[in-house]
Amino acid sequence: MLGEERRTEGTALTQPASGRLASPDIRDEFGLETIDMNMGPQHPAMHGLLRLILELDGETVVRCDPVMGYLHRSKEKISENRMYPAVIPITDRIDYMNNMAMEYGYCLAVEKLLDVEIPPRADAIRALMNEFSRIMSHIPSLGFLLLELGAFTPILYAFRERERIQSIMEEVTGARMMFHYIRLGGVKADLPEGMPEKMWEYIEGLESRLQPDFIDLIEGNEIFIARTRGVGKITPEKAVEMGLTGVPLRCTGVEFDVRKHYPYGWYENLDFDVVTDQAGDVEASYRCRIGEVRQSIRMIKQILQSLPEGEVMGDMGRRIRPTEGDGIGRVESARGEYAVHVVSDGSDTPYRVHYRTPCTVNMQLLQEIVPGHYLPDIMPIMGLIDPVSGAWDK
Amino acid sequence: MQTVLNLLEAEPIRLLLSFALILFLVLNLAGILTFAERKVAAYIQLRYGPNRVGPRGFLQPAADVVKLFTKENVMPHRADMWIFLGAPIAMFLPAAAVWLVVPFAPRSVVADLNVGVVFFIALTSIGALGLIMAGYGSRSTFSLLGAMRGAAQMISYEVPLILSLLGVIMLSGSLSFQDVVNSQSGGFWHWYFLPQLPMFITFYIAGVAEARRVPFDLPEGESEIVGGFMVEYSGMTWGLIQASEFASMALVSAITATLFLGGWQPPFEFLDLGNFNWLWFAIKTALIIFTFQWIRWSLPRLRMDQLMDFGWKILVPVCLIWLFVTAGAMLLLPSVF
Repeated sequence: MLGEERRTEGTALTQPASGRLASPDIRDEFGLETIDMNMGPQHPAMHGLLRLILELDGETVVRCDPVMGYLHRSKEKISENRMYPAVIPITDRIDYMNNMAMEYGYCLAVEKLLDVEIPPRADAIRALMNEFSRIMSHIPSLGFLLLELGAFTPILYAFRERERIQSIMEEVTGARMMFHYIRLGGVKADLPEGMPEKMWEYIEGLESRLQPDFIDLIEGNEIFIARTRGVGKITPEKAVEMGLTGVPLRCTGVEFDVRKHYPYGWYENLDFDVVTDQAGDVEASYRCRIGEVRQSIRMIKQILQSLPEGEVMGDMGRRIRPTEGDGIGRVESARGEYAVHVVSDGSDTPYRVHYRTPCTVNMQLLQEIVPGHYLPDIMPIMGLIDPVSGAWDK
Repeated sequence: MQTVLNLLEAEPIRLLLSFALILFLVLNLAGILTFAERKVAAYIQLRYGPNRVGPRGFLQPAADVVKLFTKENVMPHRADMWIFLGAPIAMFLPAAAVWLVVPFAPRSVVADLNVGVVFFIALTSIGALGLIMAGYGSRSTFSLLGAMRGAAQMISYEVPLILSLLGVIMLSGSLSFQDVVNSQSGGFWHWYFLPQLPMFITFYIAGVAEARRVPFDLPEGESEIVGGFMVEYSGMTWGLIQASEFASMALVSAITATLFLGGWQPPFEFLDLGNFNWLWFAIKTALIIFTFQWIRWSLPRLRMDQLMDFGWKILVPVCLIWLFVTAGAMLLLPSVF
């Protein structure tokens, strides 16, 4: 399936990260061979539909080739055939764990073309919902990491939090997952009566539950440390070279966050830190995610304390026909930098829409760092990248 | 009537009946344990668990068994039929047969072998054979990896398991389980878990590995090799593998209770129930099973190299040191023992 070159290159691996290879003498004397193993696309730990072609020396991976495309749904082509507002529900389904950011990126790109003014209240609500969406994505991803290490319980605690946020989202947007809430020019509707108080109450509760339910149960666990420390180690140079964004980049110590460095919407007015860690391994990514959840809680509190009054929808007109040109919207999704490039030819459907999802880019890591690790280490590395099937295939 | 009773007392028939009884007990135990496992898991995970079939869900195991029996038994196209179908039996029978030497109460033991401990060690080792058969016979990379892991794990953890038994055997001076229990009479401070604490912990850990439970369930490794050696099994063959897993978990708990926690001995002498002492045995076994389940639903899984390191570099030295300490103490202070 793959060229002989790659194959020999893989077998010539000399310095495994965590695994142990059979020594060349033994290999030659007994004529040992590597086994090819096909993992996925139907595999419980593959975060959707990912196929890995592995070459194993005992339990050590010497070659790993991810094969994507099993959840390809032609998002970009479909977007070309729909009118501008009707593309938003399509973007919802790209990264189905963090839908708000997907909508936000597309709306930002089209709004650049339209040159419309967004009311401040709409901007604040967008940021608020985005941060909720980030928590909704980060906490289950911690659960998935632990699930893949073999601990079944944390995922249920994580999903309890996700369900509660989903209930809040349902009251605000009318949907539990595919929100279609952020619209061109604003948001669909204002927050319902009493919602800010409800959100405040929930976020306070989450803050107090985070320590006992997630950190205390996970962080000091010897087995967790043994399984994650030093596993999937990336250097900052390599991370930048590969174009990683989001947690996989920040856990190596590189401080890059679109919200901070290229602020959009309400994020200019917010006070928050970019969470980084030095180690660059799976444990560091876990600490980064917890830190980001804390920062999101902080941001939500700030937004709720200073929620501006006023309209939630800008003056858009009935028919949206941007002038010719192109617009780019960059947002920080829960998985990294998500950018949308919209090209308009003056009609009421986009000429071309490109989604730059962080998952597609971050997935390169698998090819680079999995060889040399033990087979079970693939799972925590997947937890470090935390990809979503819908987002890498689009 | 009298002839029937006489016939029952004949040794071969008594053994046959006892074995049938034990088989009945073990199969039911497996059913009860699946239910217990799911309930314990549910309460740890803030859920209710099975609560629809029968009162409070008690009939769930029965429903499961009906489902397993009616399910098609799928065999991979190129699998080796005899090895594939023989594996669940080869796993289940040893796990059930060891129950023959476990003393339930003062006079309730099917066969009080004078080499009971050796019998236990020998038969649990055969369980690994079934595992390798299952992994090899299914002709799947995933199964093969599971079987490889299983073989490596069973062989390495057999060593600390046997070494940690030796202390108890030295103290009691017998290889018969009934004698070991009898020598622990007179209150819980006479039980062997106190003088043999490191051995007790080692035996417990090695027992968890022997029963293939988290954090040592690498042959299954459900997140990477999705079920490992039993990935190709379905229907009742799968059910038999599950039954043997639960039976071996119960067995390891029962042996731990027998060797280190006094078996059927009551914790205080005034609580002696005579022939009903099996209640104490059941309580102790159930408590140990509960700790197994508690660990199962709280901890992540180790990696193969870490597992081997732990077994050979920590458990075996601890056992050897404590063996010397025990031997030295017996030599220097013969009055105490």
